[in-house]
Amino acid sequence: MIRARDIVKQYRDGDGTEVRVLDGLSLDVADGDFVAVVGPSGSGKSTLLHLLGGLDVHYQGDVEVAGVKLSGLKDKELARFRNQHVGFVFQSFHLIPNLSAVENVLMPSHFGAASPEARKRAESLLDRVGLLAKKDRAPVRLSGGERQRVAIARALFTGPRLLLCDEPTGNLDAATGAGVITLFEELNREGITLLAVTHEDRMSSAARRVLRLKEGRLVEETRPALAGGVS
Amino acid sequence: MRLAALSQLVRLSLARERRGAFFSAFGVAMGVGALVFFVGLGLGVGRVIRERIFPNDARLVDVVPPAVSLGSFLGGGKLDTPMVERLQALPGVETLYRKMSVRAPAASLYNGDFFGRKMRMGMDVLAVGVEPGLVEGDVQLGKFVDPGPGQPLPGLISTRLLEIYNNTFAPARKLPTLTPSLLVGFTLPVDFNRSYVTAPLPNVAVISSQVQVVGASDRALLAGVTIPLDAAIRLNREMGQDAETYSGITLVATSPGAVPGIMAAVREMGLEIDDQERRLAENVGAAVTLTTSALALLSILICVLAAVNIAHALSASVRARAKEIGVMQAVGASRSDVRNIVLAEAGVVGVAGGFLGTISALLLALLIDRLAVSYLPQFPFKPESFFSFPWPVVVGGVLLGLLAAVAGAWFPSHRAAATDPARTLAG
Repeated sequence: MIRARDIVKQYRDGDGTEVRVLDGLSLDVADGDFVAVVGPSGSGKSTLLHLLGGLDVHYQGDVEVAGVKLSGLKDKELARFRNQHVGFVFQSFHLIPNLSAVENVLMPSHFGAASPEARKRAESLLDRVGLLAKKDRAPVRLSGGERQRVAIARALFTGPRLLLCDEPTGNLDAATGAGVITLFEELNREGITLLAVTHEDRMSSAARRVLRLKEGRLVEETRPALAGGVS
Repeated sequence: MRLAALSQLVRLSLARERRGAFFSAFGVAMGVGALVFFVGLGLGVGRVIRERIFPNDARLVDVVPPAVSLGSFLGGGKLDTPMVERLQALPGVETLYRKMSVRAPAASLYNGDFFGRKMRMGMDVLAVGVEPGLVEGDVQLGKFVDPGPGQPLPGLISTRLLEIYNNTFAPARKLPTLTPSLLVGFTLPVDFNRSYVTAPLPNVAVISSQVQVVGASDRALLAGVTIPLDAAIRLNREMGQDAETYSGITLVATSPGAVPGIMAAVREMGLEIDDQERRLAENVGAAVTLTTSALALLSILICVLAAVNIAHALSASVRARAKEIGVMQAVGASRSDVRNIVLAEAGVVGVAGGFLGTISALLLALLIDRLAVSYLPQFPFKPESFFSFPWPVVVGGVLLGLLAAVAGAWFPSHRAAATDPARTLAG
């Protein structure tokens, strides 16, 4: 599903000092995998997520996701890639406040092919995450967990095979976060590949692989399902 | 991005920012409304000047003999038959019409019934003879030819004279107002070689005649009566005056574009152009155009301010919606999609503002016309409407609103398109 080679991402900070966020990172993620990316703040986790999702194009190296080579894609092609192949879930949910839950879920439909079934699909996804009864509510009238589930429904709208999650349980209490993780596990069992940046042990425990980043490099890989893990 | 999706996103966005959109549209409406109003006023007043006060066919050139001409001593500068033939042969001349003044004073003493009122009035009149073709469209009774000695002469009066009579003289003297058709058939006495102000021609008998009004014409003499050319020739001949040379020739150009060349050629022939009215019309028209332009400029300035206001409002909106824009990019919006959304929002505001402004201008013009009919006193050439709104002005008003809004949205839309979703959505 994901093949990244020799990724270097650097920028100059306010003092003109060169900061290397990702430093020659290579990564492979198989179809249907569930990968947690952990590491200290500033280690490049979110940057990696953005590169893999085609949100950030300013890097060196090669990235191929779902059979699409991202390097060199034009803006419209990248936009189509994001619409069709990946779904994003963010820590702050990033729902549009003046739209209802179902309208938020429908947001990707505005940038893809027209479908007369779009609303039905959005409602079905809300049903899937247990929020069909609250489909007309604005985000402000939903709890944190409910908002994140709406965001997951939005991410699933175009039927992507890859979900990229940036601290998806970071703003949720333990019980709500557990519910979201359970949802991720269900989606993974259905064949969706998950790559989640996280600080949470619960999420790491649910993943099949845990990648540890430090100073832009992949320094450790463990498999929680296997006793003792594998480096 | 599909149009339906774009319109839905624009609708959602405008619904959220109703207040800002309203004030932006209001600004555009003010500018567009003022512009459409003033342009309509300028065109309306210009039309009255062009069509009623100084009616002037752009293809006509009035040629007159020079006031002082050395050439006349040498046989040049006279509007005689050879000169007429030379004028007819000029490039760009389609046809020409000859005119000859009756070269003796004339006076009219009217004493009788005047449309239901008793009137006694004496005045000097000028008389000029013209070829029938020049005025044939205005003759409503009989043929415009000399009926011969002793018969009433067919005469045309000036529509402008009638306008001045109706709105100035008639109300002051409590006389009835008249229409051209009402006047047709009215007969007044005219004595040629009689005058209340100048000496008559010596040794020439007075020719008492009747002039029967056969219509009113823009091309008729303003302060006098216009009769058939052959009648003027006969009268001049009977009174021993020059019946060979013409007092004026009206040339009809093949097109308005041919007029300058004809005028130059005519001047080279030692003749003059009687363009007093044309210049007066041009001067008045220029004054109206200048005033309209100044007001239009002011209106355009309001539109520019409206565009600046839209730029400010949209810049603030784009900043406030950075995360929303980032989300749209994350779910599949390209940079051009984002730019188009912002431009479309402004476009809707601009079209709404332009439409409202144009409608307001039309309604205000209608109101002013109604008030003018009711409250403004009657005066010569008072029009039924002071405004003229040809469709390009109306459509242009709406388009100007669109243009102002899109211009104002240009930089905010590009700024929105440049949103870095990775940075915006981080954290």
